[in-house]
Order: sequence, then C-alpha cells, then structure tokens
Amino acid sequence: MLRYTFHILLILAGGLITWMAYEEMIGLYTLSVLMFMGVNIIMSTSLNLVNGYMGEFSCGHAGFMCVGAYVSSILGVLLFAKDKVFGAPLLDPSLAIYAFPFIVLAGGVAAALAGLLVAIPSYKTRGDYLAIITIAANYIIISVIENLGVIGGSRGFMGMKRVINAMEDVAYLPWMPIWVFLFTVFSVWLLRRYLSSTFGKGVSAICQDEVAAEIMSVNTNKIKTISFMVSSGVAGIAGGLFAYVIGYVNPGSFNILKSTEALVMVYLGGMGSLSGSILSAVLFTLLLEALRPLQIIKWVVIPLLLIILMQFRPEGIMGNKELGDMFPWLKRFYKFK
Amino acid sequence: MLLSVENLEVKYGNIQALHGISFDVREGEIVTLIGANGAGKTTSLYSIARLAPPEAPKVVGGDIRFMGESILDTAPSDVVKNLKLALVPEGRHIFGNLTVMENLELATYSRDKDADLDKDYQRIFDLFPRLAERRKQRSESLSGGEQQMLAVGRALMTGCRALMLDEPSMGLAPVLKYELFRTLKKLNKEGMTLLLVEQNAKLALDIAHRGYVLDTGTIAASGTSEELAGNPEVRKAYLGG
Repeated sequence: MLRYTFHILLILAGGLITWMAYEEMIGLYTLSVLMFMGVNIIMSTSLNLVNGYMGEFSCGHAGFMCVGAYVSSILGVLLFAKDKVFGAPLLDPSLAIYAFPFIVLAGGVAAALAGLLVAIPSYKTRGDYLAIITIAANYIIISVIENLGVIGGSRGFMGMKRVINAMEDVAYLPWMPIWVFLFTVFSVWLLRRYLSSTFGKGVSAICQDEVAAEIMSVNTNKIKTISFMVSSGVAGIAGGLFAYVIGYVNPGSFNILKSTEALVMVYLGGMGSLSGSILSAVLFTLLLEALRPLQIIKWVVIPLLLIILMQFRPEGIMGNKELGDMFPWLKRFYKFK
Repeated sequence: MLLSVENLEVKYGNIQALHGISFDVREGEIVTLIGANGAGKTTSLYSIARLAPPEAPKVVGGDIRFMGESILDTAPSDVVKNLKLALVPEGRHIFGNLTVMENLELATYSRDKDADLDKDYQRIFDLFPRLAERRKQRSESLSGGEQQMLAVGRALMTGCRALMLDEPSMGLAPVLKYELFRTLKKLNKEGMTLLLVEQNAKLALDIAHRGYVLDTGTIAASGTSEELAGNPEVRKAYLGG
C-alpha cells in the first residue's frame, strides 16, 4: 500500500485540480499557469533525454513542439470543427472527446518523424556541430510553416477552441486541465520507463563514451535514432497541448527563444535528472509569472538568475540525481519499475 | 581460421594508414602485432572492430574475414553481439562514473538475459580478485592497473570467444604488467583466442604463439614468437639489441 502512495497522491492531485476548476474555485489565470506548468514539464523532461542523458546538445526543441502543435491543431479542426478553410467537420463533433488523445498523439508521432531530421545527421556528427544542425532543424520547420499559406502562414492558425467547445457540449468538464494533467503524467512515465530499460542504459553509455558503448555491443545509431524520436515526439505532445491551451498557434511562438526556455529548464533542474526537470519546469513557470510585473526587464532578471545559478551550482538543482537518490526515504512511497 | 585480414588498406581522410597488410589468427592462439608508434596497430584493431567514423578508419581495399565470411558490412555492435569478438581499447574507455559492477553489467547489454551470468561474473572476479573487492566503487576512482583489469573483465563479460587487446600494458607498473600478462596467458589456456597489440615487444612475444611486426602500415616480419625474438632486425629495432 505504502508504495502506491505516490500514485494515490497523483490521482488526488488530478482530481482536486479538476474539481476546483469545475467549481470555478480557481480562476482561469491560475488554471492556465498550471497548464503551462504541465506543458513545460513535458518539454523539459523530453529535452533532458537528449541533452542530459544522451549528452548531445539539442537547441531546436521548439521546432518539434511546433510540428506537434500544428499537426494536432489541424487534425482537430479538420475533423471536429467548422472552419473557413477546411469547411464542415469531417466527423461528428461529439466524437471529439474520444478522439482528442489520439489527435495529440498523432502530433507526437509527426514530431517524432521530424526528429529524424536531427537523428540521422547525429550518426556522424556530435557536440557543437550537432547543436548547429538542431538550430537549423528548428529554423527549417518554422520557415516551412510560415510559408504554408493554407494553414495561415506566419499569421498563425486557430479554431481549436471550437474543438474544446465540442467536447464541452458532450460533457461539461474542464477538459484542457484534465488532458494536460494526463499527458504530463503519461510523458514522464514514458520517459522514465524508457530510461530505466536496458535500452536506456545504452543511452547513458553513449553519453559517457561512444567508443566504449559500441564495443559493449550498444548499437549507437539505433539508440540515437530512437532517443531523438522519443524526445521530439514527446515535445510534439507538449506542442499539441500548448496549442489547445492557448487556442491559437503561430510559428513565431516556437522560435529559438522557446528552445532556449527548454534548455534553461533542463540546466536549471540538472542534466540527467527527470525529477530535476520537473522541479525546474514548475519553478521556471512560477518565476515567469512572478516576474511578470517587471515586464520586459524580466528577460534581464531571469538570465541574470541563470548566471548566478551557473556560478554557484553549475550542476543545476538536482545534479544528475533523482529525488529518490537524494532522499532515499521517498523510495518507500513509489515504485515505478 | 578464426580471423583473417587480407591486403587490408585503410585511410583516415586522405592519409593512408595501412598499405595492404595481411595476417591471420587461428582459434585458441595468441597472436601479437608489435611495432612502433604510428605503425598501424590500433588502426588494424579498430578496423576489425568495425568502429564507425568519425573516430574510426575507412577501409579502402582488401578484406577482413571472420570464420571465412567478410565482416566489412557488419555493424560494430554486431561484431560483439554476433561474432563474439570483443575489444579492450587503448586507454581503457571504461565508464568512469559507473561502479565496477555496473561497468560489467553494461557489457551484458545484448546478451541473452536468461544466460547464467552469475558464473561469468564469478569467473571475472576469480581472474581479477581486486575487482571483487572494489565492485561497488566508482570505476574512475580505481588505479590505472585496476582500470585495465576492469577493461579486460568487461570485454570478457560480453561473452566473447576472442579478445583483441590494444596496448594493455600501457601505463602499468612492471609488477602489474606481469600479473596482467599471466592472466592473459591463463585465459588463453582456458581456450580464449587473443589478438594482442603491444609496444612492449618482449612482453608480448613471451606469451604469444605467433607475431607480426608492423612498420608504417606494412608487415615487416612475421613468424613464431621464437623466430621473431631471434630475428636480428627485430631484436635491434624492438627488443633493444
């Protein structure tokens, strides 16, 4: 029983948020901050797979988020909402409720395929050079979408609110908080399972010494491909949720600045620590909101805090340890494997 | 013939490192490649291990055959997994922030999980009792000699039938060198085939059955260890007179 404490807490937390949102005890603002927290958690943990565990330097994470955001938005609107461009919904809008998770996952799959853009060059390139390729991938994705007039180009794409409305018509529940919560849990679970598998050991072997990994029969190309695809696929999920939370996407919101935010969260939390990434995503989201009154000066203060962090704790909040390693008594309360 | 290298030509970019060398290794043998720095010893091993570029050489001519079949299209991970040919690289390449035990466990990465691994671990710890003492220690905190033992132990844990060793004596104190080479000899007695690359020609010829002398990418001499040790030119160049 004790070892399921964590699961029970998780379910309680999810239920509590849903209930409070349903009863309108928490305002829309708080709710949206909570949802961005979820999206940021997915973003930072997925980037940690590549930057922290595998030891490569990807700085184009937002590009994959963008792919996921667009694919799931377009799919949702095409299937379940009346739209100027796409015309009448292809399916009965009341089905939206069941199809939504698959729509988000489809965005993830598309983003995973886009991840090949980085995965294939990574066979022969690494370090700084691969970092440049990831930036290039980010730009390619954004530029392609900016030039696709059908889906709005740089003006962006909207209509996702109608999909959510379609879900609310069937059952009046705070759907987006529920989905964000479920997908956050799913993403972290997926990454955790991936990294603790035999396969995942290969990931950290590559990080430490690629030659040694190869002579230990680790198929480095295969692992790199799958890891990049998992990482970008999960980022795509984050993107899809992000699009539906805001109800509007444009390529500009997935530029290199967004990728940098993901990087900041990974380094703040500690490379190679999933719980660190979760913690830092929460802190980072709160910090962004807390410093909102400073307006544009915010972007002076936050980087400054980052400099201070790097000076005094370069390994991030958690280093490469998990919460369970730092506080072993916590391990009594959960069992993931 | 377990392994045969035929007229192997290898390039790093535009620089040719091997100019058509041939040598072979039979099952149960210790064969040594000796030669000075830059002779192409490590390049030969890297080519056989099929390590992928960028760090690895590109084969431009000749062939490498394992049990009669060309392995030029084999992935490096399959060399270990399917051919059971393991490499102990120069400079050890152990996973520094993993413990000794974790290093050994990683070597079983693609082995059958039902296999009797405990027996294999025990065998490694019998061969290298120091590793047993330090099994929970982070491997970067081991001494150079212990790290070399770990590198050999880790290669054995892959379940290999042949072992390629690249300069295992490098940076070891004389006592440790002899101890390591005695262990290698013992491994060979138990049936392990060894391809040993060494700068320390005397030590290598002491335990090897046959040897090849590499000189700037070509085979300068070959023969049994006794022949090579008796060859006046080899004596002069590699054995100090």
